[in-house]
Amino acid sequence: MKKNTYQWFLLAAGVAVLMVYPLVLKLPFPRHLMIMIFLYATLGLAWNMIGGYAGQISLGHAVYFGTGAYTSTLLLMKLGVSPWAGMLVGGLLSIGLAFLIGYPCFKLAGHYFAIATIAIGEIAQHWMLNWDWAGAAVGLTLPILPESLINLQFHTTKLPYYYIALAIFALTILVTYAIDRSKLGYYFKAIKGDLEAARSLGINVARYKFYALALSAFFTSICGSFYAQYVLFIDPDSVFPLMLSIIPCLIATLGGVGTVWGPVIGAYILIPISEFTRIHFGGGGKGTDLIIYGFLIMIISIYQPFGVIGLTKRFRKKEQP
Amino acid sequence: MALLEVKNLTKDFGGLRANDQINLKVEEGEIVGLIGPNGAGKTTLFNCIAGFYPPSAGEVWFKGENITALPANLICQRGIARTFQLVRVFKDMTVLDNVMVAAFNRTNKASSAQKKALEVLDFCGLVTKKNMLAGGLTIADKKRLEFAKALATAPSLLMLDEAMAGLNQTETAEAVELIKKVRASGITIFLVEHVMEVVMPISHRVVVLNYGRKIAEDIPEKIIQNEEVIKAYLGEKYHAARRRY
Amino acid sequence: MFSSEIILQTIISGLLMGCIYALVAVGLCLIWGLMEIVNFAHGEMLMLGMFTAFWMFTLYHIDPLLSLPLCLLLLFLIGVATYFIIIKKILKAPFLAQILATFGLGIFLRYLAQFLWTPDFRMIKNPLLSGRIGLGGIFIGIPELTASAITVLSFVFLYWFINKTEIGTALLATSEDREAAALMGINSDRMFALGWGIGAACLGVAGALMSNFYYIFPEVGFPFALIAYVAVALGGFGSIPGSFIAGIIIGLVESLAGLFIAPAFKYSFVFVIYLLVVFIRPQGLWGRY
Repeated sequence: MKKNTYQWFLLAAGVAVLMVYPLVLKLPFPRHLMIMIFLYATLGLAWNMIGGYAGQISLGHAVYFGTGAYTSTLLLMKLGVSPWAGMLVGGLLSIGLAFLIGYPCFKLAGHYFAIATIAIGEIAQHWMLNWDWAGAAVGLTLPILPESLINLQFHTTKLPYYYIALAIFALTILVTYAIDRSKLGYYFKAIKGDLEAARSLGINVARYKFYALALSAFFTSICGSFYAQYVLFIDPDSVFPLMLSIIPCLIATLGGVGTVWGPVIGAYILIPISEFTRIHFGGGGKGTDLIIYGFLIMIISIYQPFGVIGLTKRFRKKEQP
Repeated sequence: MALLEVKNLTKDFGGLRANDQINLKVEEGEIVGLIGPNGAGKTTLFNCIAGFYPPSAGEVWFKGENITALPANLICQRGIARTFQLVRVFKDMTVLDNVMVAAFNRTNKASSAQKKALEVLDFCGLVTKKNMLAGGLTIADKKRLEFAKALATAPSLLMLDEAMAGLNQTETAEAVELIKKVRASGITIFLVEHVMEVVMPISHRVVVLNYGRKIAEDIPEKIIQNEEVIKAYLGEKYHAARRRY
Repeated sequence: MFSSEIILQTIISGLLMGCIYALVAVGLCLIWGLMEIVNFAHGEMLMLGMFTAFWMFTLYHIDPLLSLPLCLLLLFLIGVATYFIIIKKILKAPFLAQILATFGLGIFLRYLAQFLWTPDFRMIKNPLLSGRIGLGGIFIGIPELTASAITVLSFVFLYWFINKTEIGTALLATSEDREAAALMGINSDRMFALGWGIGAACLGVAGALMSNFYYIFPEVGFPFALIAYVAVALGGFGSIPGSFIAGIIIGLVESLAGLFIAPAFKYSFVFVIYLLVVFIRPQGLWGRY
């Protein structure tokens, strides 16, 4: 069987499995687990666009997630706007934010850029904790609306949430795939590889860095809006924290940065581990799964910074002429 | 009208004047060599022309347009490509992908970029290595890749910064052949070189810099006899000694 | 508006806290300047210093002032161990790996601490250094005052060590040009380990001093680390005196911002400083590059 046919078959099989999964496993937990995997995989894919492809290590991505969550929620609560429209507005707002943040920050290199993104993330969380109109530290509890697609709320079953999350996840994979093959992807990788060389080949570095960040921010924001509709409660600590910026980065790194499937693999490994440790080691706050995260981050960075895909490439190299 | 015109270009770095009122022209279809002792300001001149940094004074004109202080990416789009002294290949990308990045300078479609990239790789003799990671190439091949990248941007003027450094005799001969092929395809060449056996035979004209100033400009045969040039390379004492005998 | 006493009080508290920031920053600057690796676990190492002092006091009744040498030594060893176990392996790794490695260590240490010692806030009650002295209408805490004095002394010692001793010169040489230093017979591996040791030792000292007057809990270190990043940027990359002075300046600014703007936002204000510095004067006030 030719390599391409094999890959198409695998892809089709995967899609089929994901489509019937919630129909076979009808309990809430397996569905919740998969929804979390979709959500984090999408976040990982989104981070991957700026961090993996373009090589700009943003550690403050939570600011876009939070923007998405708060925008759609506030529009719903104050103006009765449908969460779908709210999701779109949040996405556009996040692109605007990406421009504001990127424009000055992209002039910074390496560590300074990373620290600046951490700083911005912290400032954002801090401001939200003190912004009374938006709920401040208490947060926002979404109004319980009749269950429907327009309201993006479902109370009796997780099934619709599952398929919506799957759709968002699939869309993000498609966009990443398109980026990977296109001028955008090549330019992003060039910027990551050698900025000055990229410039000397005609690339407007600032503009393409912005494209990467804008795409990344948009999809992160969509996830935030979805999360708000899924959990029906948001506060600065759940949608703006530093860990929410780190986990997508970790997922993408674990699977393989700068690739289409890396973040997907990373999510499928990390999220189940995280959910299971949370259950088994339970209380003590959100402590234990993060110990494992920390440990995993160290191990990956030291031994396999190119992730799982990097590992498989090493095996495949032996076959190449 | 000359393809490239440098008018009174001056570049200061703090208190150091690296380029001092340099005037030169490069006509279309020529190969012009730029030589001079170490520290004469050759790479600085290149960087000013290519938009790496702006000159402190003076102008650069290309195809009748004032391109002084344009950023490097716009200058590449206008048609000037340059290679770097220390090669800057994208080491985690394949040879083909490296050149495709360059090819995207003239197109938005991946298929066109790939076609152009393969053509250029073939022209440069790298097509058999197209799927290798650039980081794993030999120095000679890396230089060839650097060359291919510059070519794939479809320039009118190609500026080569010490492309021969570190090559052995065979590799140097191959590189010279490549340069001749490029010029035959209609691209003008402006090169900085230390290897005299390369510059002199292929250049139509040679420009000599010393201490940031242009001290001579002529055909190669006349340059090697030029008193100022000899003094610059070998020093006053040698010059005086020569005159005595 | 505000009485001159309140303003003076604010300034003094700011300066005193700034000294702590300064020592923390110096540790970070040393490592960063030596090998261009940012220690993203800096805050967590500070936290370990504080907890060491806390447990010495709680379990063995050793006052923080007396356990300071132990904290220094323990953190020194932790720094050296971190170098050999982690950092050495990522010296040539891609940039993302370098950031994530120490970041991962920080997260690991923070949540391990939370797991072992719970997230509860601890305090050392009635250490040797306690109470405050009054001058006019101004009150200065004795622990804070002593802490500042000791940090300044530490800095002076460090400055002397780096600039006037042979080993210190070797460190400087390695940070400037690793290969040239190697040609002179300087083992860069050992220099890096030493750098990490000293950088962490600063945190041991700072931690022991802070345990006299600050709450101790697993997440305590993070804000200090962030302030240290700002201080190193403000002081100028590679300049140890620069980082020290910058730390003090930040302490001052933070304190005054809390008074004149709003206590809730003084933290954000410090970050605004960071952003201003890196955009307007990226080489900082005294930087090398």
